[in-house]
This record gives sequence, C-alpha cells and structure tokens, in this order.
Amino acid sequence: MWGGRELVTASDDGIRQPVAERLIIAAGAYERPVPFPGWTLPGVMTAGGAQSLVKTMGVRPGRRALVSGTGPLIFVVANQLHKAGVQVVAVLEAGALPRSPAALTKLWGNWGLIKDAWKLWGGLRRAGIPLFFNHTIFAAHGRDEVTAASFGPVDPRDWRPLKTESQTVAVDLVAVGFGLVPNTELTELAGCRHLYAHERGGWIPQRSALMETTVPGLFAVGDGAGVGGALVAVEEGRVAGITAAVQLGALTAAEAARRRAAPLRRLRSLARFRSVLDEFSRIRHGLCDLATPETLFCRCEEVERSQVEDAIREGARDLPAVRLHTRLGMGPCQGRQCAPSTAMLLSRATGRSTEEIGRINPRPPVKPVTLGALAQSPPAAARVVEMVGDTP
Amino acid sequence: MSRSPDVVVIGGGVIGSAVAHYTARRGLFVTIIDQPKRGRATSASAGGLWPLGESVGLGCGVIFYKTLLAKGGGPHGTNGGPAQLPRAFLDFAIASNAMFPRLAEELREANGIDIEYERTALLFLMYDEGDEAFARPLWQSCPCGRTLTDWLTPEEVAREEPYLTGELRGALRFRGDDQVNPYRLANALLTAARAHGATVLPHTEVVGLARSGRRITGVRIKDRTIPCGTVVNAAGAWAGEIGAMAGLEIPVRPVRGQIVATETLPKILSACISTTACYLAQKGHGEVIIGSTTEEAGFNVGVTAEAIASLSAGAVRAVPFLGEVTIKRVWAGLRPGSPDELPILGPVDGLDGYLNACGHFRTGILNAPLTGLVIAELAAGERPSQPIEPFLLSRFGRRLSSASSAAPTMIPLQ
Repeated sequence: MWGGRELVTASDDGIRQPVAERLIIAAGAYERPVPFPGWTLPGVMTAGGAQSLVKTMGVRPGRRALVSGTGPLIFVVANQLHKAGVQVVAVLEAGALPRSPAALTKLWGNWGLIKDAWKLWGGLRRAGIPLFFNHTIFAAHGRDEVTAASFGPVDPRDWRPLKTESQTVAVDLVAVGFGLVPNTELTELAGCRHLYAHERGGWIPQRSALMETTVPGLFAVGDGAGVGGALVAVEEGRVAGITAAVQLGALTAAEAARRRAAPLRRLRSLARFRSVLDEFSRIRHGLCDLATPETLFCRCEEVERSQVEDAIREGARDLPAVRLHTRLGMGPCQGRQCAPSTAMLLSRATGRSTEEIGRINPRPPVKPVTLGALAQSPPAAARVVEMVGDTP
Repeated sequence: MSRSPDVVVIGGGVIGSAVAHYTARRGLFVTIIDQPKRGRATSASAGGLWPLGESVGLGCGVIFYKTLLAKGGGPHGTNGGPAQLPRAFLDFAIASNAMFPRLAEELREANGIDIEYERTALLFLMYDEGDEAFARPLWQSCPCGRTLTDWLTPEEVAREEPYLTGELRGALRFRGDDQVNPYRLANALLTAARAHGATVLPHTEVVGLARSGRRITGVRIKDRTIPCGTVVNAAGAWAGEIGAMAGLEIPVRPVRGQIVATETLPKILSACISTTACYLAQKGHGEVIIGSTTEEAGFNVGVTAEAIASLSAGAVRAVPFLGEVTIKRVWAGLRPGSPDELPILGPVDGLDGYLNACGHFRTGILNAPLTGLVIAELAAGERPSQPIEPFLLSRFGRRLSSASSAAPTMIPLQ
C-alpha cells in the first residue's frame, strides 16, 4: 500500500501496481500473542496454528496437550486435538464460569464462530477433558522444547495470575488462544483514520454504516475491521460490495438500498449478541503479570519485559518511544507480536489509555518482499503519495 | 521544577539531544521540548559518519546529481560532479567525527548504551569511465589530502569486500569515514542529558516564544510559558516554524530522503558503500540500510515506487547477493535542508537569548557532537571551541523580518 487506494502487490511474477477505483480490504485478524515464560519454546503454538496442523496438514502436533486462552476457539481446538488422538490434559478458560453451559454455547452458536456448540461442549465432557474456568497457563517449561507446563487460577476481575496456586503437568504441546487482533496495516498505510475498540480486538478503521473508511472509496470489512466472526464478515462484505457497485454506477441507488436491507438487518441482530460475549472474553490487564522480567516481549528483536520496563522508567510513555529505546517492534513482524501486550503493560504502568499509548506505525511492505523483486518493479510515473499516520 | 531553566532546547532529535547533553554537562539547567513528528530525520538516518565523503558530494549528493542529470538538469559542481562543500564544513565535520570515540565511551559508561560507533571507511564504487572521471579529481585533489584516500583496483576491492559485484573498475576509499547507530546515539545523548539533570517534556508542542524587546525570554507551550535565559532552535526540518516565532526567516526546508532496510544479515560489508545510484551501510544489528533520494516534497513523508525501485536496483547491482534478501521496510525522512547545504548555528544579530542549531541537511548525525558542544559553550557565554562564523544565519543576508522590531510582546503564532 503506498497510500490512498494505490496498491503495490508482489508475487512470483513480480511487482504490480493495480489502480483501484474502489478498494475493499478484508485483511482478517491474527491471534493475540500473550507473553508468558516459555512462550517461545517449540511445542508452544497458537490455537489456530494447532488447528491448521491438524485440519489442513493432517499432522498431530503433539501427544499430550494443554489448551489455554479464552473464547470458543480453544474449545473447538481442544475437540479437534482430541479427535486427532492427542491427549488433552485440560482446557483453561480465563473467563468466568457462565451461569450455565447452555447460555454460553447458545451465545457462541449465535456468534457464528462454531456451528454446533452443544455438541462441542458435550464432546469435551464425554472425553473426560477437565475444563477450568478463571484459569490460565502460567509457564511452559523445557530446554529445547516443551516438556511441561504450569497453570493455575486467575483473579476473576482482571485475570491476574494467582501464581502461588500453580500446578505443573507434563505436556509436549501447549495451544494458546486469547482471541484475535485485527490486521490493520493496510488500512493504516492507506491513511484511514483508526480508533481503539477494545471489544473489537484493538485498533480498527473508522467506518460508515456502509463500511466505507475515512478514505473515500476504500472499504474495510470482516475481522480486519474489528473482530466479529464469520457471520458478521459475510454481511459486511455484502454491504461493502453493494455500496462499491452503486458508487461506480453498476447499481441504482434504489436497487442498492433494497439489496443492502437484509444484510444490514442481520448485522444489527448479530451486534446484540456480541456485547454479551465481549464481557466474557474481553482481554484483561492482569495477563501482563504472566511474564517475568526475563520473558521476551518482542521476539524479533529479543526484547525482554524488563527492558520495556526500563524504558518506561526512563520516560517512555508510548509505543513509539519504547520502540526507540529498545528496538521492540523493529523486526520483520513490525510489532504484530509485541504491540498488543506491550500496549497493555504500558497502559497499566503509566495509567494512560490505549489511545494515548499509540501504535507502532506500519511501514511497507506489509509482507516480506525481496530486494530483487522490488528492484524489478516497473517504473511508474513519479507519484508522491502521502502515508498519513496519526502518531499521537 | 521550582527553578526556571537556563536553556530550553526545542527539538528532541539528535541535534537537540546533543545540545541538551553538552549543556547539561556544563551544569546549566536544561529543559528539552519534543513533539515527535512524522519524518523526523533522526529516525530516517543511515548513521553514516562520512566527513570526507560528504564534503566532496558522496553519499546522497552524487545520487541526487545523477538523478538531476537523468532529468536533464545541468551540472552545478566544479569538476562535473556534485557540489563540494567548503573547507570550513570539512574542518567542522572532521572535528565532530573525531569526538565520537570518546563520546561513545562516555555514553556507554554513563548509561550502558552502546551507540555502535564503528571505525570503517567509505568506498565509492566505479562501474564505468564516467564514475572514474568523477572520482579521479576527488582522489587527486581531495581537500582532506591524499593520505586518507586510496584508489583500489578491482582485485583489491574483491579482497576487501568479497560480496561486492565483480563488475567494477575499482573503488575510491576514504579512510576516516565511520558509522554509528543514529537512534541509539540520540537516545543515549538524551538519557545522558537527563542524568545530568535535564528535564524532558515529550509530546509537547511549542506554540510561541515570549520576548521582551530584543530578547527571547521564554517558550510558550499549550498551558504555560517556560521562562529561560536561552532558547535553542533544534527543530530540524521544522526549524523555520520556530524561527518565525522569533520573527526570524530561517531558510530551512524539508528535503525528503527515502530509504530501504533489509532483514538482519550476517556481516557482508565492512565498509560503507557509495555509488551513483545508492549508498549502503550495514548496521551493528545486521540490517543493511540503503539510501537515499533527495526530493522536495514539502512535509510529505510518503514513499514512491519509482524511488524504491531505483534504490533497490542500485543495491542489487552493487551487492548481487542482496537480490535474494528480504526487505523489512521502506520509509522516508525529512532532512533539514539549507540553501548552501551548511548548518545554521549560533546567535542572530539583534536578537538575544536565542541560538540556532539547525539546517544540518545530510550530516546531522555526524555533526551532532560538535554542534552540541559549541552551542553549549555559547549558551554558557564562552567562546566556541570551533569557529562558527561560516555557519551564522547572517551569511544569508536578510535576517530579521518586520516582526523583530515589535515592542515587548508575546508572539502568539500558530
């Protein structure tokens, strides 16, 4: 993204610069990284990573697994691991025990993340897999790979780990799923205005009811514009597609309004369920305390929690300042791995809101490209494009 | 803080941080005001310390010159190459570069921060006769003398830098051109200043200057005025805006430079490389920084496909192996450019309590230590240890705009 609606794409065939009259970005979300001691050991993976190994690649990622996090995905993954022949030692949900399993599964079913919530729930029970609410992983242990993991209860209010009540189990797989963070690099580079919405996963582009961002003609839909699940994503995509079509004269305004009515109605209905789930799975600051001073926050540049805290002591009060002090976020992932957890730590240490903590500005390319590929990019007319970013 | 500062430094880039460091170290009370802006040059620097190369137009100069030629612009240098900077600049730059070894030691001892100062060399690569014709006079009559330059044969280049392309007619080497990590340098200077008692006001916008007659008496920020003895304008590409608050016309404009950073690599370059298409510097952390364009694009900090393609092609031509390497990111910074490419330092006729430390163009990192030192000396009322006459604002002729004759007043600007 060079800004506005100008794109640069790279593939094996080289670099292209398509010009879009209307652009719909559906960049999706990635799994929220939560640093804890041992989280970089081989054998520790995200719930989604474990899922793709089982489902897509047909690989059994371990023999004995601990599954930890929050939200429906960890239950889905625990079931899939079990079916693949992995012994699931326990499922740890950081959220509180719901009034009844039925309430929770009904909620998740409506949410659209899982098709048959009841069956899933029952499957775990029948398999004899223990389910702990208000519990979470404390640490993964091992020298070259995971051989054991500790877990225990969290304070229900802020999910602060109660480490004195830790217990340790022998496992060779730890699957961790603390929800999703929207991929906003593209909308940020395009210059869209963003706002912080904790319940939607973090920073998201500001949008009209018709999914248009603050950059005219640029739409953002799905989890990349705020985590909402598959059902929401489909309806948002419909609304954006219809609106782009009417803007380009492919539909009349009346026809567009008629076609948009049902998707907009379904989005309103889905939004009602969301507020309940938000309260259950909303990520809480106490998780910061899982990390010890030596725990890596930034994996690319190997920055430990204590270095982040040193930077805060030396006066860093936002993410860009921590980045300059420590190199955190300067690696290839551009802060995807470290920004959410560092922002949480900074917010708690400084008492400032996440908006004030700011972001690590993404820079192109969003995904790695070789220098050789860039060197071959076709000479375009000299274009000067502003990459607006709102550094606080 | 109960006591008002002796010195307020506006700008927390490498220049402002250096001024704060040397001033605070002299025992003066310093406050540094910083509003991070997109495009601040300190964050887009390669950290080359090339007093010799820069003074004869290598680094970005020769790239810009080639670009101008390609676009039909006329040569403006003396020997058909980019303009050479005057002897005073070279002397200043050499003296500043000479401060780095001790500064690196001091900063390491004071804060434990390693600024990754590295003694190395700058190699100008010659691909064709044109490059040779450009380099030969630099070699024969370099203002730094022959002792620090070497004309390397292709075999010598291959031995010194095995990853460079074999398609070279040779290289001109400047010994005494070094490098540093620019972010660490700025950070270490600021941390050291703080350790010497300086106060840092981050994320604070200067909205005006307070003045009484011919004297600047304080700096206005959002909710208050900070009274002080001396204000230092170290606002980089934004120095003109601060100057205007003092009624001055400071001819500093933003000159955009786009750069590319590779992923972390094992050591492949021991010297910094300058060609007519790009420069390359491998940093302590292993990434190779490839720069840079010289463009007038206002305060626009975007990048362009054309420029990035050209820099990338230049880098792959110089080091073919880089074609396979992943780039981490591309971005742009705004150099504080002055009309004659020289910094603007020191006092202004007819205005007390004000010092310039701006207009450093391509050499802010290199000239930061000496700038910090001489500004600190001036702020303390001492004689600067390096002559600053060639760098005074008065060299541009016009000085004070009409606002300067105003009666004692606060100047609310912006």
